[in-house]
Amino acid sequence: MRSGWPAGARLEGPADHDLLRRMQLGEESALETLYARYGGLVFTLALRIVGDPELAREVLQDTFLRSWDGRETYDPSRGRVPWWLMGIARNRAIDVLRSRPHRARLREQERPPSGTPGAEPADPGAADAVALRRAVAQALAGLSDTQREAIELAYYQGLTQAEIAGHLGQPLGTIKSRTRDAMERLRTLLEPLIETGGSESRRD
Amino acid sequence: MTDEHPVDALRAYALGSLEAAARANVETHVAACAACAAQLRAYEGVVAALPLGLAPVPPPSEAWETIRASARETRAGGRKAQAKPRLAGWLRVTRWPAVAAGLAALLIWNVSLERELSRRAPGPAPGPEVEALSRRPGRIVILAGTGKPEASARLFVAVDGGGHLAVSGLAPLPRERTYQLWFVQTGSSAVNGATFRVDASGRAWVKVMVPASLDNVQAIAITEEPSPQNSAPTGKHLLDALPWK
Repeated sequence: MRSGWPAGARLEGPADHDLLRRMQLGEESALETLYARYGGLVFTLALRIVGDPELAREVLQDTFLRSWDGRETYDPSRGRVPWWLMGIARNRAIDVLRSRPHRARLREQERPPSGTPGAEPADPGAADAVALRRAVAQALAGLSDTQREAIELAYYQGLTQAEIAGHLGQPLGTIKSRTRDAMERLRTLLEPLIETGGSESRRD
Repeated sequence: MTDEHPVDALRAYALGSLEAAARANVETHVAACAACAAQLRAYEGVVAALPLGLAPVPPPSEAWETIRASARETRAGGRKAQAKPRLAGWLRVTRWPAVAAGLAALLIWNVSLERELSRRAPGPAPGPEVEALSRRPGRIVILAGTGKPEASARLFVAVDGGGHLAVSGLAPLPRERTYQLWFVQTGSSAVNGATFRVDASGRAWVKVMVPASLDNVQAIAITEEPSPQNSAPTGKHLLDALPWK
């Protein structure tokens, strides 16, 4: 899979930034390829946040339509295509979670915890992508429960650090400390597997 | 890294867990500090990979067809909008040219949001929603009282979706009546963005469901309708969106 994540991945199909360029020219097939590449991950993220398949589908559809509408504004110097997509999806899902919390909560107990790798997707992409998926799951599983909780409340629940502190009844400094330790551990383990520097065109 | 570099804030920023003011501070710093910009990119890469740790769930098979159909409508709507521009400034909001990249625009947005809230929203502002909204680039659309001259409103729309509406000057309604915000689209019926009432002072602050695609939005209006809410506007337009300038 020629995605923006795995460093040194075997390249199959057009690069993400090429897809964005073609989308900017109005090529619907490029959007379709982008969807095939990241639709599953966007839906998985949305479902984790909102907890309801119908709401997650709304987020999925909104995310790709917004990527289509906003294709001219994607700036490769500010991050890679999947980061951009995940950012749109995450923010949209948090909005939905806040606007319809009751419905979202109905499915909350069915959520699998992070760091519990499930079955591989039907089209998992190159071996490097599968390896990254496993590495992320293992890195999350390697965090302490309190560290993982701080990360999940921030990213999947959209809480600020002060809100997390209030929610858990812990001092703000404790939450900052847990977040710092968790992020540094994740970065140490995952950064070697992720292309984080330079521009997207580096991989041409 | 020295204490001058907000490393803790960079991590929290990447996770989306900073309050608006702290977020603006990070953006100001990163705009001038290449080292912290690189740090932030690294953290953002790690955060964006977090969903890979979830058990994959395949999306509904029909979702792509819905996206493709809407994208085609958008493309057709975009051509029509080019041929006959209406609310041209508002339509440009969906293209987000310099908005997503412009720190200055973001700061102006935050300041405007706070100012408008203090003028129009009833009671204390709903903190988390306002913070979430003001963290992201966005625009404000003004609605003027056409059928209700003393009323006005501001629609706050974030770049990646989600919106809020602050209204003032509308009359409180009896239980069987309500106000509704509509996005009127080219070639199709209007979409209801919000249903709301106002307080005794005639003000309201409500969450808005903004259509995924705004390319073919031709008008935005508020009407008075029977309660429970209508699926299409029947009342006269009390407020209408002005072209964005």
